[in-house]
Order: sequence, then structure tokens, then C-alpha cells
Amino acid sequence: MYNFDWQTFWNYLWPVTAFQNPLLRNGLIVTITVSILAQAAGVILGLFAALGRMSKIRFLRMVAGAYILYFRGTPLLVQMMLLYFGLGVMNIYDFPDIQLGFFTISGAIQAGFLALAINEGAYMAEIVRAGIESIDPGQSEAAKSLGMTPGQAMRRIILPQAIKVIIPPTGNEFNNMMKTTSIMVVISAGELFFAFTQINARIFKPFELFIAASFYYLALTSIWDIIQKRIEKSTEWGYASNKANTVQNGEAKTIKPPKTFDRLVRGH
Amino acid sequence: MTTRKPNTLSTRSTQVIVKFERVNKYFGALHVLNDINLEVLKNQVMVIIGPSGSGKSTLLRSINHLEKVESGHLFVNGKMVGYIEKDGKLLEDTDKNISRQRMEIGMVFQRFNLFPHLTAIENIMEAPIHVKKTSRKQAEEEAMQLLVRIGLTEKRDSYPNQLSGGQQQRIAIARALAMKPSLMLFDEPTSALDPEMIGEVLDVMKSLAHEMTMIVVSHEMGFARAAADRIIFMDEGSIIEDTTPEQLFANPKEERTRLFLSKILH
Repeated sequence: MYNFDWQTFWNYLWPVTAFQNPLLRNGLIVTITVSILAQAAGVILGLFAALGRMSKIRFLRMVAGAYILYFRGTPLLVQMMLLYFGLGVMNIYDFPDIQLGFFTISGAIQAGFLALAINEGAYMAEIVRAGIESIDPGQSEAAKSLGMTPGQAMRRIILPQAIKVIIPPTGNEFNNMMKTTSIMVVISAGELFFAFTQINARIFKPFELFIAASFYYLALTSIWDIIQKRIEKSTEWGYASNKANTVQNGEAKTIKPPKTFDRLVRGH
Repeated sequence: MTTRKPNTLSTRSTQVIVKFERVNKYFGALHVLNDINLEVLKNQVMVIIGPSGSGKSTLLRSINHLEKVESGHLFVNGKMVGYIEKDGKLLEDTDKNISRQRMEIGMVFQRFNLFPHLTAIENIMEAPIHVKKTSRKQAEEEAMQLLVRIGLTEKRDSYPNQLSGGQQQRIAIARALAMKPSLMLFDEPTSALDPEMIGEVLDVMKSLAHEMTMIVVSHEMGFARAAADRIIFMDEGSIIEDTTPEQLFANPKEERTRLFLSKILH
């Protein structure tokens, strides 16, 4: 009968003791950083892929369509190994380490990030497209009738409305992303789960260590849940819901969109 | 006949603002615009009536190229809309050129289509600032004048979902007027409104009559009587009658016009 080693379990679960191990400390940093960057890149890629798919230009539609088809239709694990090992062996690109001051960003981390971002972009494309298509076509007609070009109408009228539809599923994507970074273990990128497998190789306590590892991911996704709820609440501005517009003391209360959002999306 | 309005076409400007030359459009097998020939003169107020599916909205929407046409020529202010002619063939114009042409043509929709993420005044200022590149200060001044004109100054910072249907439609008219169009198109502007709100919108429209060219798809016969110089009746993609409201109501030439009028003039 296997004896659960509580000592080891607590040791690697409790951040104060666990983070004395540089593998874990760096692993957590890599997991969080790669998640955020890959999700951000995925959103941008997805936006362009979605616009490409809806473009008037046939070539753009085809390129975007092929991208989405391939990266949604094949396993991320395969894509990641193909990118890291395949490109290297073929002498196309072998992901050299990048030195940034005190940090070294290993080739594996770069490849992992890239695979995650490209894969995410294909999923985000569908989310963005659904968001854009959810907007009443009358909005685009009204914008055009005022002399806006299709691009202006998209940027200033459609996207600022679509973003409310896009945000909730994007939050779920990010939740997924944080967990999915763990498959970077197959290319030995030094993220959180890789750190746990390294420690396991030394002390062989897979049960204790991997439960501890799972709790780290649980903590990350739980924190994100709280942040996501706040974000979704802050996007309930103005027209969003009648809840946000209840008349209080005879005065209509309206939540204004955050200024940063205005600058980002509508560009003034 | 009333003498209240400058009614006879002959005394008015003869400058042609909108011209249809043998315009045809199909939705599949359906011939929605059947060889339309039409001239609308400067500052004329023209009402279009007809049963649903008669092509009246399509005719209106083709004027600012929200609908494509299959053949024929369509001019606004002497320029072809949405198309360029090359070797006798019609090719669609660039987005940029089409957008520029639309700046001179205001449009008001049945379902208002206000921008829900912008306040009333932002809705009005949006196009002047970002399409016409007017300064924010000037755009705001002009928007305030428009709000005074439509009687909604106190709603300047309200979002569309805080406004009644009638108020939304008045803001939508102001939004179109902010681009200072020479031609205004109204696509059933009161048919999505509760009855008690129709009057306030029609009043704003009446106040615009003869300041600019107006083409109005509407079954508001009260408006036609009070403000229109001209009324056309459409059926099955064709213009059946083209006359003054008084003439049309008093003695419609065609049997189907009479039949249609008897249905809407309860």
C-alpha cells in the first residue's frame, strides 16, 4: 500500500516553500506569461482571420479559410511538435534562444508560444466572426449611409458592439489557454508542468506532485474567473443591459465605456 | 386643392437631383424594379406608396447603393451612383467613391438603426467628425442646433435604449441631417412607431420639406397631403401612377391604385 507523502505534497503545494525551487518559480512565470501573450496574439490573429474570411477579396477569404480549417482541424500537440522539431530538422527555423537582459527565452518556449498563439487564433476567428455577425445589419447600413467606408463602419460601429459578444467566450478561451500551456511539456519548455515532471524525475512522487500541480492550475483559473466576472461587468456600459441603466433618483445612471477601451477600439 | 403649399411642379426648380434611366433589378426570378424611369427635382417632396413587395423600399435603397441594380443608369446630382461605366458595361465603383457619394444622401430607416454604444449627441457627431473631418467643437455646436431643432436638447447624453421610439427616430433624422445632405431618403420612418409617437416624427419631417429634396416611402397619407408635391404608386416593380397627392386621392387613374387606397385610407 502506497503511503501518501503529506510532507512532500505540502512542500510543493505551499508557494513559500515551493518557490524556493527555481524550476517551479520560473515555471509559473513562464506559464502565466505565455498564456497572456499567446491569448493576446490569438485575439489579434483571430480578428484578422475573421475579417479575412468576410473580405470581398477572394484570395484573402481562401487564405483565412485554410488557416482556420487547418489549425482547428488538427491537434495542437501535433502542431507544436511539428513547429519545434519539424522546422528545426528541415533547417527552416530552429528557434535559437533569445537573450533579454537577465532572462533567456528558450527556443522551446518560443515555439510553444507560437503554436499556442496560432492555434488560438483559429478558434478566436470563429468567436470574432460570430460576434460580428451578431450585430444587426442595419447598423452597417446606417454607418454606410452616413458615408463611412466598410472599414470605418467595422472599426467604429460594428466592432465596438461586437466586442461585448466576443468578451465572454474569449475569457473561457483564456481559462483553457492557461491549462493548455501544460502540453508544452512535450517540447521541454520550462513551464509549470514541466517543472513538476522534472522534480518527479528526481524524487518519484507522481501522485503528490501532480495533485499539487493540478491545484496550481486550479488557483490560476479561479483567479481568472474572478477577473473575468469583473471585466464582463465593466463592459455592461450604456446600452448593454437595462440593468446598468436603471433610473436612480430620477436620474438615468449610465456606465460609460472605459476610456482605454475607446482608444483601443475606436482609435481616438 | 389647397393653396397652402407651393404645389405645382412647374413653378419649382427644374434641376434634376435623382434620375432613374431604365433601371432593373431582380431578386432571383422576382423582377423587383421593372424598367424604372424617374426624375426627382430639387427640393421636391415625393412620397412613394404601394403594397408590400411592390419594390418601393428597393427603389429607395438603390438611390444610395444599399441595393445593387442589374441594369440601367441611376444618377444623383448628375453623377452615377455606385457604378462606373466602362466599355458600355457597368462596374461597381470603389468603396471610397461610393462612400463619398453617400455623404450627400441622408437616410432614415424604419428601425432607426441608431448606434447603441453612442449617446444621442455622439450619434449625431459621429459622421461629421470621422467622415467629414469636422472639428469636434464645430460638430458639437451643429449637433446641439439639430437637437434644438428636433426638440431633444435634454436627451443629448442619453443612450438610444433610454429613448422612446419617436425620440430615437428624431435623433436618427438629426444624425442624417448633420452631414448636410441635399437629398434625404426616408424608408417607412413611422411604421415601427407606436401611434402616439408618429406625429412628432412627421412634424420634424414636415419642417424639412422644401429645404431639401425628400423621398419618403410611407403610408402616412396625412403627411403626403400636408407636405408632398408628388406621390407615386408602385406595384409589382413598376411605377403605376405619378401625380400630386390631391389628384391621386381624388381620382386615381388605375383600378389597382383605387383598390390599394381603399385599403389604407380606411
